[in-house]
Amino acid sequence: MTIKAIVTLGFFGALTGIVAANPELLRPGGASRGEGRVRSDAQSRVDWPRQNPPPPLPPRPVTFPPYELRKLANGMQVVLVSQNEQPAISVRLLVRAGAAQDPKGKHGLAMMTATLLDQGAGRRTAEQIADEIDFIGGALNTGAGTDLSFINAVVMKDSYHVALDLLSSVVQQPTFAQEEIDRQKQQALSALKVSAEDPESVADRIINRLIYGFHPYGLPGAGTAESLTGLTRNDLVDFHRKYFVPNNALIAVVGDITPDDAMAGLEKYFASWKPGEVPAMQVTEPPDATRRVIVIDKKDAVQTEIRVGHIAIPRKHNDYEAIHQAVKILGGEGANRLQQVLRSQKQLTYGASADLDTYKWAGAVIAETDTQTANTAEALRVMVDEFTRLQRERVNDSELEGAQDYMVGHFPLTIEVPDAIATQVLNQLFYELPVEDLPRYRERVLRVTPDEIQRVARWFIRPSQLSVVLVGDADRFVNDLKGVGFGTFERIPIERVDLLAADFLKPAARADVR
Amino acid sequence: MKKLSILLLALVAGALAVWYVPLQAAVRPPKLQYQRLVLPNGLVVILHQDKSTPIVHVELWYHVGSKNERPGRTGFAHFFEHMMFKGSRNVEPEQHTSIVASVGGQANAYTNEDTTVFWQTIPAQYLPLVLWMEADRMASLRIDEKTFVAEREVVKEERRMRIENPPYGLLNELISFHAYDVHPYKHPVIGSMTDLNAATIADVREFYSTYYVPENATLMIVGDFDTDTAIELVNRHFGQVPKAAKPVPRDIPQEPQHTKERRVTVEQPWPLPAVVVTYQVPYNGHPDSYPMFVMSKTLSDGNTARIYRKLVYETGLALTAFGSSSFLEQPGIFSAVALVNPGKSPDEVEKALVAEFDKLKDGITERELQRAKNQFARDYILSRLSIKEKASQLGHAEVIQKDMATADGEFDTFLAVSQDDVKRVARKYFVPEGRMIMRVMPRGGARQ
Repeated sequence: MTIKAIVTLGFFGALTGIVAANPELLRPGGASRGEGRVRSDAQSRVDWPRQNPPPPLPPRPVTFPPYELRKLANGMQVVLVSQNEQPAISVRLLVRAGAAQDPKGKHGLAMMTATLLDQGAGRRTAEQIADEIDFIGGALNTGAGTDLSFINAVVMKDSYHVALDLLSSVVQQPTFAQEEIDRQKQQALSALKVSAEDPESVADRIINRLIYGFHPYGLPGAGTAESLTGLTRNDLVDFHRKYFVPNNALIAVVGDITPDDAMAGLEKYFASWKPGEVPAMQVTEPPDATRRVIVIDKKDAVQTEIRVGHIAIPRKHNDYEAIHQAVKILGGEGANRLQQVLRSQKQLTYGASADLDTYKWAGAVIAETDTQTANTAEALRVMVDEFTRLQRERVNDSELEGAQDYMVGHFPLTIEVPDAIATQVLNQLFYELPVEDLPRYRERVLRVTPDEIQRVARWFIRPSQLSVVLVGDADRFVNDLKGVGFGTFERIPIERVDLLAADFLKPAARADVR
Repeated sequence: MKKLSILLLALVAGALAVWYVPLQAAVRPPKLQYQRLVLPNGLVVILHQDKSTPIVHVELWYHVGSKNERPGRTGFAHFFEHMMFKGSRNVEPEQHTSIVASVGGQANAYTNEDTTVFWQTIPAQYLPLVLWMEADRMASLRIDEKTFVAEREVVKEERRMRIENPPYGLLNELISFHAYDVHPYKHPVIGSMTDLNAATIADVREFYSTYYVPENATLMIVGDFDTDTAIELVNRHFGQVPKAAKPVPRDIPQEPQHTKERRVTVEQPWPLPAVVVTYQVPYNGHPDSYPMFVMSKTLSDGNTARIYRKLVYETGLALTAFGSSSFLEQPGIFSAVALVNPGKSPDEVEKALVAEFDKLKDGITERELQRAKNQFARDYILSRLSIKEKASQLGHAEVIQKDMATADGEFDTFLAVSQDDVKRVARKYFVPEGRMIMRVMPRGGARQ
């Protein structure tokens, strides 16, 4: 079948010469404001018309999709999202304990505990668990993050009970067999060896230590060679016993199953899981923001990984929305001053961004980019300037509108697949935020004004107290640092990095510290 | 003693599993419905409606990738992808992405060996806007010396970031370089910086007029739209893009059957040695590519997969080990990679990897075949959840497989693969003459 071409030259008034240089032109009703420049260098193969952007079609209603919240008698919180577009079900279980709960000196314990969960549990060995999930064409993943540990399973809809049987067993009765612990420890040690030479990974770890100091968020969740080697079976058993209880867990069932059937399965496999008392976290305050510059020397690097940031706020904070938007303007999707200057104007990088990392107890704003070695100082200067500008200058209305338009318009894209819906609900529950906020997303975003951004930027952006990490070929850029205001720095060879030392330096012969 | 009891347990568990696991493969996913239209100028249009969320995904595939590049001009297809964001008659440079963002959408592009793909996901009411912008840059791209020279610097940073700076970033490039002799798959998609420096503005214009033409493009519209409106909009915006002046060239040098095993050792400043084994394999969609895909699963999907089991779990030879067959339009390679754990020998790792390919010639078990099919069904279903994923499947069927019916029908083709097919295909392709073995050793000797 072919369709006839309809030639519509002039349909939109081909000669009005509007150039869509300004996103504002595209607001509904605002499609014909302003007079554009006429350019003549287009490589048209035809006399291509000058046109206004076409107007949008009538908008379609967007609502947050239905979900259900329930609870088991043992305290486990339940999120159910039913959607039958594809015959699959995913089950996600979160436990409220992660690397932040690693005891002193036992870095990597949460990660190792999570890794071992599916390496033997209940009546099954590691091989049997793998065989069972692989054979039905399912997938099972376990892991630990900063504040939480997780087990995810995905199966076809006829295998829901197989998934729950496995999942309930690995979360409740992991074997922690010594030979499996030894095997995974060996793997974790090899992985550390690789990541210790990966500039990106080294930069991320160091900036976190700089910003959070010896607060749990500053310490290496993947462990160190010494801490991993020292972990015992008892450590794992202990960590599991303390934190893996239903009253410390959330579970989401998502996909092609009715809420009642989903709940019946959960009752069958999780009702007998015994609640327990969860030890309270000993919260310490992260240190105040302090200016400090760490240069990690990697001789064969062709680029420098740059991180710039400081302490910010935890997820649950009254100014979260305004600060979140301020950071979007600095370096987030829909705005991103850093990308505009570093890539579009100066071609210094392929990508630049800034993120607001917010955890349960604290958070940070961190900007990142990478640039060829010779441009290190210049890129750093630009990034610091953007922190300064955000703090000193009021954002203009149209820039904030642009960022908000993106966030509001983007909302339907965030509720497309059922797992994404569940993630949003789980996030609210995990951080103890009101789930009623989810459908009110638009109002929450639009409530923030330029004055509000200015108010929060004044107190939380601190350009003179930035932590800076530069991982690259130091000899080729350190002499330029003074010229951009960073003459004082500590220089550490990459093979001598120690994330637990106050000076980041392995205690051997001291390197050249300035 | 211990070994025996583990084996017994495994047998018992296996038998148990059979009780409650259906042996019939896989829940059948819903049929992927679509409409296919061709405009008089040659543009292929594929429509798939999905009204579950008020968003729409527009994806434009140009059938040009790194395999269309001439020697001395590698990296051009990818570089051109960047140029497509440099403005056209009605859209200012760098504005394409920000206009899409201003309505809450996302836009980006990617280039691979066979295609260059531009995509945007947007709230449904902005369908006219993105069709208009895509047509605008298909018909009237601005190509000037200044943006060309500036953007080259961005691509150089991209190459440093992706390929040159991270450990193992260069691995894929090394594999292709040594696995092919004449086929342009030999060269990396991002290309050589020397070639990019040598490129002229005339090359850019020539590339645009040769490949960025309607008959070399496929437009996918997937999501919440009204069919009549969508067709009318496509006609309005793309209908006036003229036909190309000349046919799109398709003369790509083909790789001959190799006649001798090749062995390569190179050095790189990476923390652990890498061992790579490759074999020549057929194009994606060739009847033999389905059993080949089964073997990818058997070797490397999940913790039961043979390569993981042997090299990582049982022997601890490797930190990580995996392998898979290529999904390319023309004959490619099956490659397996292992990172050698400290204290283990690359010799042993090489032997173990090659042994896994040789074992496939004795076939796989009924259970392994069933597992591969179930895993395939899972991938099939999970790669059709979002409208973006659906567009990608439709584009692959139309452009790479040249048969839209495979977008849905491939499910059944796959389930028809037998144990004999697997054995036959393994014996045909996993032969020493078609093999390349590469070792990448840490520069300056192994560091422990």
